[in-house]
Amino acid sequence: MMWSEKHRPQKISDMVGNEEARNSFVDWLVKWKKGAKPILLVGPPGIGKTTLAWITAKEFGYDIVGLNASDVRNKTNIEDILTPLLGNTTLLGKSLIFIDEVDGIHGRSDFGGVEALLKILKEPTIPIILAANSDQSDKMKAIKKTTKTIYLKPVPPRLLRLYLEKVLRDEGEKLSPGSIIKVITESRGDIRSMLNLTQAQVTGFDAPTDKSFETLDVEPAVNAFFKAKSKEEARIVLYSLRIDPREKINAFYSSIITSSLPSKDLAKMLDVLSEADVLYGKIMRTQEWRLLRYLDNILLKLHGENLQVQFSQYNLPWPLLNKIRWDGKVIKSLASVLAKKFHVSQSAIATFYFPYILFCMKNKKLALEINPEYNEILEKEMALLK
Amino acid sequence: MPVSNMMWVEKYRPLKIADLVNQKEVVGSLTSLLKNVTEIPHLLFSGSAGVGKTTLAVCIAREILGEGWKDYTLELNASDERGINMVRERVKKFSKFAGLDTDIPFKIIILDEADEMTADAQTALRRIIEDTSKHCRFILIANNISKIIEPIQSRCAVFKFTRISEKEVIAHLKEIAKKEKIKADEDGLKAIFDYSEGDMRHAINIMQAAASLGSITEESVKGAAGLTKTKDVDEVLKLSLAGKIVDARNKMIELIKVYGMSESDFLKYINEAIYRSKVENLVEISEAIAKYDYRILSGANPEIQLSALLAELSKFGK
Repeated sequence: MMWSEKHRPQKISDMVGNEEARNSFVDWLVKWKKGAKPILLVGPPGIGKTTLAWITAKEFGYDIVGLNASDVRNKTNIEDILTPLLGNTTLLGKSLIFIDEVDGIHGRSDFGGVEALLKILKEPTIPIILAANSDQSDKMKAIKKTTKTIYLKPVPPRLLRLYLEKVLRDEGEKLSPGSIIKVITESRGDIRSMLNLTQAQVTGFDAPTDKSFETLDVEPAVNAFFKAKSKEEARIVLYSLRIDPREKINAFYSSIITSSLPSKDLAKMLDVLSEADVLYGKIMRTQEWRLLRYLDNILLKLHGENLQVQFSQYNLPWPLLNKIRWDGKVIKSLASVLAKKFHVSQSAIATFYFPYILFCMKNKKLALEINPEYNEILEKEMALLK
Repeated sequence: MPVSNMMWVEKYRPLKIADLVNQKEVVGSLTSLLKNVTEIPHLLFSGSAGVGKTTLAVCIAREILGEGWKDYTLELNASDERGINMVRERVKKFSKFAGLDTDIPFKIIILDEADEMTADAQTALRRIIEDTSKHCRFILIANNISKIIEPIQSRCAVFKFTRISEKEVIAHLKEIAKKEKIKADEDGLKAIFDYSEGDMRHAINIMQAAASLGSITEESVKGAAGLTKTKDVDEVLKLSLAGKIVDARNKMIELIKVYGMSESDFLKYINEAIYRSKVENLVEISEAIAKYDYRILSGANPEIQLSALLAELSKFGK
């Protein structure tokens, strides 16, 4: 079953985004009385216009009679279906009319449909809800004159992410952070499309969307980026490198820092990376994922002529990496023991205590009675003392 | 002998409020505050390093809580805790556990280097202080009071610690030397003071290290004082200015990732290092440091920011 159907919200409170619009819509239905203007919901696809209409009707006890673009909506059709409802409200109980994709009524095939609709809209005897993607056509302008219009916006990435994570949890599925970001960016605020893309990802095939670019691995991508003959080519390479933004920044960082560039170039490029890192930091703090679209533009500044940059996974020489991994771990653990004893921070231990302790020990004036697991590192560090 | 007593700085740490060197005003008003223990407000101590802030906080805890003070005191160092949530968790756990059935008036939380916390974290801290103030008193400690947000300042009695004079530092060092039966000449003691820049705890550490060479002379002090890791930061600056960015960076990463110097301390020391290094473009260099200090606050990866800083410094070399 399609997730976009399966996870369609069942209650108004389950919906995400457009809170204000939802409130004024509910308000409209609650206060509705004979003669009140119909409502027109305008907004891009997949943000919940249809869902909103259906579940609100349900929550307030209305029978919903719906038409959508796939129904033929010419004059007779509209009159046939809708007129009885409008005249015999008591007979049929509490009903409302929902006309989806009203901007899809075509002049030719839906002959006279708009006129028939306008006539009904002017004298509503039951609540009428219309939904459209856009209100810009002449036809829509005519319709708008008879309705109260509510605008809905694309759902912000932050909310998409929350919603997506909930769906993934419910489905017991997982998606890498990179893919989550990719799905959210590509869906542009469209929940339906986001769920479709996600389902395609977790079930292991990629839906043939018009956005599917070739995806490159990190190493060839970084190398291709620096070999690119033009900014445009470099941009495409960047775009095809679809990985987590943190990994993306790090891949460039480790490659650049190990490529023995002249210090002037190195300074310039690290400044760019610093800028990219600041952007990423802001995104993480504010969860404003829409800012992510600027990351590639910043990184593009790394491209230049004749820069000899080769991909490298590691940004430090091996001896130092090993020292961090082994010695660093023990030293930090020792520092945290000492920090408590001396009422100072671990950083102060590192700077002002550890060297003196080692010096006194080396001069045999101090014997540290401490867990023997630290003996080896103390010996080693003493030997390093100048 | 416990580890802490092997280091003189701990062995000779004053145990009573009255024993504190040269903080007459602070000691005076605190002593009168302590006459009515239950009325004590939260406290905020400010002043430069090694003037007795932490020592005094521990003295107060000991004085108020008596023998078992350690059980009812939580010592935190903001620069060691990862984020405000960590602080919140530890405070919550500590303030919860039973033990208030004894005759202690409240538990004490000492939060050192509180000015290392971001404004956001301090705002959260303010809530934590309010939520726990029924059972806990906070003693906040900061080097720089202007980095503590107003709402916190207004909830605390603020005590500003003055620097300890050369005369008093040297007098204190002499006393320790006497007890440890170490020979110390005047030039040596003066050298210790100069290196320590009025930081008592640093002065005592230098003296102990110098004493391990025999006695305290200008020469032995010189040998010992060069050990601190701030010297390595001086070296990082020198390498950067010489355009040796990769070497500078490796050393910087070693300091932070192997030895555990904090990024903000690194920036503090490199900023101090420019004054010692006698460079010409002092202002520009300091500006560059400020720029990346700010970026670290808003960025995500301090290592990238610090590497970029070192690379930028290479522009100012000869």
